[in-house]
Amino acid sequence: MPLFSLNNIHAGYGEQVVLHDISLAIQPGEFIGIIGPNGAGKSTLLKLLSRQLSPREGTLKFKGQDVKAIPPYRYAPQVAIVHQKLENLLPFTVEKFVSMGRFPHQRFFNRAKARHGQVVEKALDVMDLDPLREKPITQLSGGEQQRSFIARAVAQAEQVILLDEPVAHLDINHVTQVMDHLVELNRKGTTIITVLHDINLAADYCSRIIAIKDGTIFTDGAPAEIITYQAIESLFDTVCVVHENPITGKPYTYPVPGKYRK
Amino acid sequence: MKKLTMTKKRNLFITLLILPAGTGILLMAMILGQVNIAPSSIVEALFHGTPETVSIILYKLRIPRILMALIIGASLGASGVLYQALLKNPLAEPFTLGISSGAACGAAFAIIMSLSTGFIFAGAFAGSIFVIILVYLLARKFGFSSPALILGGLSLSFIFSSAVLLLFAFSSADQVHKALMWLMGDLSLARYDYLGRSAMALGALLIVTLLYSRHLNILSFGDDFAASHGITRSEILIIFWVASMLAAISVSLAGVIGFIGLITPHAVRVLSGPEHRVLLPVTAVTGGLLLVMADTMGRTIVSPYEIPAGIIMGFFGGIFFLVILLKRGWSG
Repeated sequence: MPLFSLNNIHAGYGEQVVLHDISLAIQPGEFIGIIGPNGAGKSTLLKLLSRQLSPREGTLKFKGQDVKAIPPYRYAPQVAIVHQKLENLLPFTVEKFVSMGRFPHQRFFNRAKARHGQVVEKALDVMDLDPLREKPITQLSGGEQQRSFIARAVAQAEQVILLDEPVAHLDINHVTQVMDHLVELNRKGTTIITVLHDINLAADYCSRIIAIKDGTIFTDGAPAEIITYQAIESLFDTVCVVHENPITGKPYTYPVPGKYRK
Repeated sequence: MKKLTMTKKRNLFITLLILPAGTGILLMAMILGQVNIAPSSIVEALFHGTPETVSIILYKLRIPRILMALIIGASLGASGVLYQALLKNPLAEPFTLGISSGAACGAAFAIIMSLSTGFIFAGAFAGSIFVIILVYLLARKFGFSSPALILGGLSLSFIFSSAVLLLFAFSSADQVHKALMWLMGDLSLARYDYLGRSAMALGALLIVTLLYSRHLNILSFGDDFAASHGITRSEILIIFWVASMLAAISVSLAGVIGFIGLITPHAVRVLSGPEHRVLLPVTAVTGGLLLVMADTMGRTIVSPYEIPAGIIMGFFGGIFFLVILLKRGWSG
């Protein structure tokens, strides 16, 4: 049974319809990158999956059940999201912050402390945060912060983690660190669905890429199949060259600066 | 192991700070007044009831007033913590949201109409609930995290303050004076007859706030963050109404006392950190002690005249806030 199945979904904000007629299925264990131009509807798709937004038409099923029938407190223990930006950042220690992920599991007086502690330890461990556990999250570097945010999501839901541009604004060292940690999580069985604006990161790391343009699915498939210069050029309305990345063997896209275009 | 000792150390430090300071403040509040009572006579009077005059002053006047100040200060402080987490705004508290002005308007109306104390309480309560409903409607329109809520609260505050002045324009001088004293947060006019029941209600609400401490931790990071943890709208509404009831009952009992809900949480956070399980009770205790201190000062500075605690709080609160602002800059 697919983890998520979307059938003819339309969604948007207020008057504006952002996504048109989206249908797709996501299987457990996938590592999905959602790519596409700015404003295409990538984050909107993620908001549907995290239930921040309800579909206007069509049905969204989680494990075969219409999400409308799942109360928020039953959904939160199974699906976690790493937001691109938090509205407010408070000086909680890394450990306390990661422990917040256990909230959906503890709310009904289910306070089996030892087990929650174990899950938090595992989450800190997999994100290599043990040495930082006592540090306030406000004092961390961008990469460390992002790892804490992901660890919190791991503590919340081991099954599915949604991420909205988790490596935007990070330097290349932190980008690889964070992405490598996501790979590690995925290897252990977590389904990862992440919005990425970097096509090359998506190609190198994801098992499947869903490209969105103008609110509909443009292409969907394994990086090697869908990343061709023709596809990327018409996806982004630009000019580019696609080669093979000599290290990963995955397609690598170079945008062509205007003055070199003929 | 290390983490345990760190948290424990901090909690121990806070306890060691508050316990003697609190005892000192409460003792001073019993000693000082129009008549100063020697500490030895306090012990004598409290445990043996002699001499009778001292015992009466303590049991009938000072102790109820101290208890009143404690519970009201605690409620205003806790209410501030709740509003700040809910609105993600460091300026949120009953005063800036206009709730105090609503209460003032209701109370002033009852006083001008020469109604009995019961009606003054009821008027203040109705006034504050009216403003709370307006703030709630604003929140429904703009969302709980919007700065528009504070601006809306301040607008309501201006409107109701003008309404109070309008009432005064049509009233006799002594009624105006009585109403003014109430408006300035004068605990000598506090409704002791309601102390027992209100204290129970406020105490119960304070306990409820503790049950929501983990919700508050998550909420203070933002609404999307809270929603992704499965926190529902109805839970947010419960927290809003608990905060509002704490504020409404407090201002109805003791009049307009600003700044406790604003400065106490900010000051306590420096010591306790952002975690509500610690922040809430420490703010409540500190807020209570702060109001006892303000009231004691008001009773003694120009004795036999009394300065309402609300005025003292206004002075010290304003100065304190400015100092913090100048020292740390505005970081939100």
